[in-house]
Amino acid sequence: MAGYKKLVHDQGKQKETAIYVNSTVPKNRLEVLKWNGWGYKDSKFIYDAEKKEVRFTGRRYPIGEVQLPLLVGWVTENFDADFSVSKPSQQIPPEDTFPKPRISDENLTKIANLGISYSTKGVERLVRAHGQTLHSIYTLRYSSFERIPDVVLWPTCHDDVIKLVRLADDNNMVIIPFGGGTAVSSAVDCPIMEHRTIISLDTSQMNRILWVDRENLVACCESGIIGQDLERELRKLGFTSGHEPDSYEFSSLGGWVATRASGMKKNTYGNIEDLLVHVKMVTPKGVLEKNCQVPRLSSGPDFNHVVMGSEGSLGVITEVVIKIRPLPACQKFGSIVFPDFESGLRCMREVAKQRCQPSSIRLMDNGQFALGMLLKPGSSYFGLILDGLKKFYVTKIRGFDVKKMCVMTLLFEGDEADIKVQEKKIYAIGATFGGMPAGQTNGERGYMLTFVIAYIRDLALEYEIVAESFETSVPWDRALVLCNNVKQCVAHECKSLGIDYFMINCRVTQTYDAGCVIYFYLAFNYRDVEDPVEVHHLIESKARDEIVACGGSISHHHGVGKIRKKWYPDTVSRVGVDLFLATKKELDPNNVFGVGNLVQAKL
Amino acid sequence: MSAAPRCYEDMLASRREEFSNFMWASRHLKPQVAYQQERRALPQYHKDEVLKCPKIQELLETLSQQQNVAREVLEAQVKSILDEIGYNKKLKVIRWLGLALVKITKKICSGIYINRSAIVHVKAQMGDCPVIFVPSHRSYADFILMSLICFSEDMAIPAIAAGMDFHGMWGMGTMLRDTGAFFMRRTYNNDSLYWTTFKQYVYQLVTKGDLPIEFFIEGTRSRSNKSLMPKYGLILMILKAFFLSQVPDILFVPINISYERILEEKLFAFELLGVPKPKESTSGFFKSLSIMKEKYGAIYFDMAQPISAKQFFGAKFNKSGHNLQPIHQQEITEEEKKLIPELAHEIVLQQQKHCVITTFNLIAIVLHHNLFNEKSLMGVDDLCTQVLWLKKILEAVGAFVQTDDVRNSVFEALEVHKNIVRVDESGKVTLVWNQIVLDKANIGKLKAHNLSETTLTTCVPFIMLQLYINPVLHYLVDCAILVAILKQQALTPDELFGRYHFLRALLSQEFVTFSTREKMEFEVALENCLKLNLVAKNGDVYETGSDKKSQDVVSGCIDGFIFTYFVVCSVLLQSVDGVIDEKTILTRVQAEIEARLNEDNAFIHPYSLSLDTITNCLTTLSNEKILVKTRSKNSILYEINPAGVLSVKSKLEEFVAPSHSLQTKLESIQLHLKTKL
Repeated sequence: MAGYKKLVHDQGKQKETAIYVNSTVPKNRLEVLKWNGWGYKDSKFIYDAEKKEVRFTGRRYPIGEVQLPLLVGWVTENFDADFSVSKPSQQIPPEDTFPKPRISDENLTKIANLGISYSTKGVERLVRAHGQTLHSIYTLRYSSFERIPDVVLWPTCHDDVIKLVRLADDNNMVIIPFGGGTAVSSAVDCPIMEHRTIISLDTSQMNRILWVDRENLVACCESGIIGQDLERELRKLGFTSGHEPDSYEFSSLGGWVATRASGMKKNTYGNIEDLLVHVKMVTPKGVLEKNCQVPRLSSGPDFNHVVMGSEGSLGVITEVVIKIRPLPACQKFGSIVFPDFESGLRCMREVAKQRCQPSSIRLMDNGQFALGMLLKPGSSYFGLILDGLKKFYVTKIRGFDVKKMCVMTLLFEGDEADIKVQEKKIYAIGATFGGMPAGQTNGERGYMLTFVIAYIRDLALEYEIVAESFETSVPWDRALVLCNNVKQCVAHECKSLGIDYFMINCRVTQTYDAGCVIYFYLAFNYRDVEDPVEVHHLIESKARDEIVACGGSISHHHGVGKIRKKWYPDTVSRVGVDLFLATKKELDPNNVFGVGNLVQAKL
Repeated sequence: MSAAPRCYEDMLASRREEFSNFMWASRHLKPQVAYQQERRALPQYHKDEVLKCPKIQELLETLSQQQNVAREVLEAQVKSILDEIGYNKKLKVIRWLGLALVKITKKICSGIYINRSAIVHVKAQMGDCPVIFVPSHRSYADFILMSLICFSEDMAIPAIAAGMDFHGMWGMGTMLRDTGAFFMRRTYNNDSLYWTTFKQYVYQLVTKGDLPIEFFIEGTRSRSNKSLMPKYGLILMILKAFFLSQVPDILFVPINISYERILEEKLFAFELLGVPKPKESTSGFFKSLSIMKEKYGAIYFDMAQPISAKQFFGAKFNKSGHNLQPIHQQEITEEEKKLIPELAHEIVLQQQKHCVITTFNLIAIVLHHNLFNEKSLMGVDDLCTQVLWLKKILEAVGAFVQTDDVRNSVFEALEVHKNIVRVDESGKVTLVWNQIVLDKANIGKLKAHNLSETTLTTCVPFIMLQLYINPVLHYLVDCAILVAILKQQALTPDELFGRYHFLRALLSQEFVTFSTREKMEFEVALENCLKLNLVAKNGDVYETGSDKKSQDVVSGCIDGFIFTYFVVCSVLLQSVDGVIDEKTILTRVQAEIEARLNEDNAFIHPYSLSLDTITNCLTTLSNEKILVKTRSKNSILYEINPAGVLSVKSKLEEFVAPSHSLQTKLESIQLHLKTKL
């Protein structure tokens, strides 16, 4: 293709053992992915004006090509949405409309001489100028970015990155590492005030599995490998990484490390910090790494934790050794309904106390429960809610209130016998909190919807509804109050901004010994709002203030990026900020990694 | 902030029209709750939760070890404390009480006038967070009136913080409890089990309750019919849940209840002089049923715009300050405590702003002026003219005066208050003396000085009259101070503010205000004074304006208070060893004032004898560090800074017995009346 330089493969020693992965997402991302929204081009919610129904296109997901008869009515009622008027996205901008690359001929020549594939094409630069925040998607659909990268480079190995970082450091250029492009913290967005040449370092062509160590159960991968590729390749060998964040179809290993990611099945496999055994990060001062690949190390502060959460502001993560596990023999879903959220939450706490969590355990509040049911094909709303249950028994005999009940979804992995034991234990605990088992299908649907729900924002935007999520972690004794207060806070803000149609609900997505993770979904009709992005920012900001006041954190796994910088100093203390800045100054004195996440580096 | 027009409608109107109130009392209720909870909490649940909570359990553990007492014994104590505190809710009792109250109020009141649009506005904001009703407290009737109005307006009847004095009343305690009262001991001591339990109970109601909570920020009924300094104890317990972020917000609803005539007026007048209040008892309650024969006129009920704690405190405190320990071990911090007075004062201010000035308040001021400054009594026509005149002045300073047709209103007011004011045979308006019957049992036990029977009978009508002047004074006090100062001499703005500051601060207990408001209130008052010709600007200086009569009426309102403060200072300076106990001060001040009252040619206002004023003075002097207050077992001691007291006294001197008005006052009616008695 024009614009690309021919790839020159690294002739390193690992070549013989390495697995060259054929990625689902090609180098030219737009062959498969949307340019202005979430996920695959062929997968989206669409409104069928003739049938007056919403449908999900494509066959990639189980929900594909089935009618969702309830959604339109519900959205119309709850959001006052008007499906007769849509607010379509603009078309992909023509090449001559992009900001001109700010790069000197001299530097461009130097880049060309590196022998690394590069491009200055507008659309390639645009695609790597953003993550998946509302702000970015709204900008893509309806306006344009002020600042996008000036040149995109595709290194194919660790040594390529070393050469590139040295070049940037010597020539006063900026590097922003780019992995899967799924950040929801504006972490890959270009700082508007950055006048130096911005290089987008796309790691996607650095996606080999360099080796697999079956004895120690670890694998060394290049950082650009995306979740689904990694999982597919490991499965072929009979292994799994077990790391499954909601974005894992598109997000990359390097991105996970850089943001401190967390996967759905962390109860069995651990979060990224538990999975990571060794990591290499290329900085302007050299490569930060260790001399051994050991299960644990007592050797001063653990610099892995400087790499994890660095959010692209200290260097480029190139190679990661992660743990792998043999594939489980069996996987089983489950669900329990509770009369109200508090009962469900107390059950979650008890399960965590007894440390008997299955691979995943989640609790959806009543709002999410109802929303999940709406994405079901079927006839009557009421019948759907109680699908798989004996409706009469639940509501009349057990006295559950349809407007209060909530559901816990469960995912078990392991041997069949182990799962049986686990199930028995969980359902017994559930029963002590008034819960009753609600079948496998409800559970399975819950997890399937996790991947589909991300697509709904694009449809919502089209019909003037903003939809966004945010998350936090909180100690157990403050969890319930945090959920209630944040919902109240958002409701209050919406009302005082004159927004009559909005939705705020939450789910508990992870449990720990000392607390849990809460995910909020916020949506509102923006027809009467002048700047929906700004208004959303305002509401989310108030919500985060409330979260912090209630004892919650700035983020559990989305990271700080640019949109949560405001809360960073209070989170880590002034000394913490200075420590980070000192680290930054040491590793990157010229601010090559001037992406501006966490804190504004004044070097 | 533009105030919505205030409009009152009689809640009893439709009750008077219907054939039977029974249907109304037994109607289907859908009360608006304060804080919708996912799980509805019943009274017993709250008590159980308090007992189970980690805070109480940890305390039991500690106490059991410290005192070597079995945990079960302590737990039983907590249970019985909770039974003493806890509210109950019996709908049947509420309905019957509602019915009875409607029947009683229909008989003795001309109407219960409520600002319905304000109530609707508050109701619309309820549901999402704890709502705290904070009414002014002028009468025992406040308790039941609040509940009656909530019942009538379909708001959840609040859990009401009540003093233990009611608890002891046979039958009454139970009835109040059944309608939502919870009880608080009045004495503060170190009983940590009691107070931890009580605080936890309040915390439980705030965080997990769905009912509004009602408490009186003034702590007790105001005997003087003026606002009292807010107390910070209960509001602090309530706000704990907010500062700990255990609730999304807390809405405080300042409420004013203005009575045309206060049920307890006579008792209050006696109490102010030192005649002890009878202990609350059920027989006393039945005695008070004699009120059924009397008329009490109108009652006005208004709710201010709810104050959101979240908005009020905004960014003034560190929101993550409580994040690093188990939530149940967290207490409100000193920094947070410091924020509370401003809110408490704002609530009192809003209560004042929503008070309704009735015709009788105006009559009281006019008559007071007449009796003290003029040579002959007024006729009714003259009274009406002056009432109308005063109404305009008060409206100019922002008061809400409820009079429609002046003449009618005056006659109605005189009818309601015929025990205080009457029109004599010659058509002149005067006080009523012969209604004062002394209860021998009580006057033997006077709290301070043994005032003579004559003094008591002479003074009580004046004091009762003053009770109806007092609620107006917060509108007038700033103007009155300015006029009183400028009557002495013309001053530049800075000098004027300096002297204003002295007097206003000295009277800050008397006429409740918050120091941060001083400058603003000074400027508003000055502007009002100029507008009303009370004050004029002459070149660089301010001087008294052209309207002499208004000046006398306005400044005359605070004369009596200033006189008491002056006498207090004199008495303090007489102390030989520099330490004096409170009772001695009260006694000596009253004795001194009584002596002066009995001097010929004196024109002392009997209200100067008020113990309330004397204690306010002592409190202010203590706050200003001129006195040092210490509590011993049975008494309160004051250590005196003589220089400080002398300085206050000499500054007050010029306001006391101003020579130029002496002559006219010597001829005033009061003296004539005195000789007649």
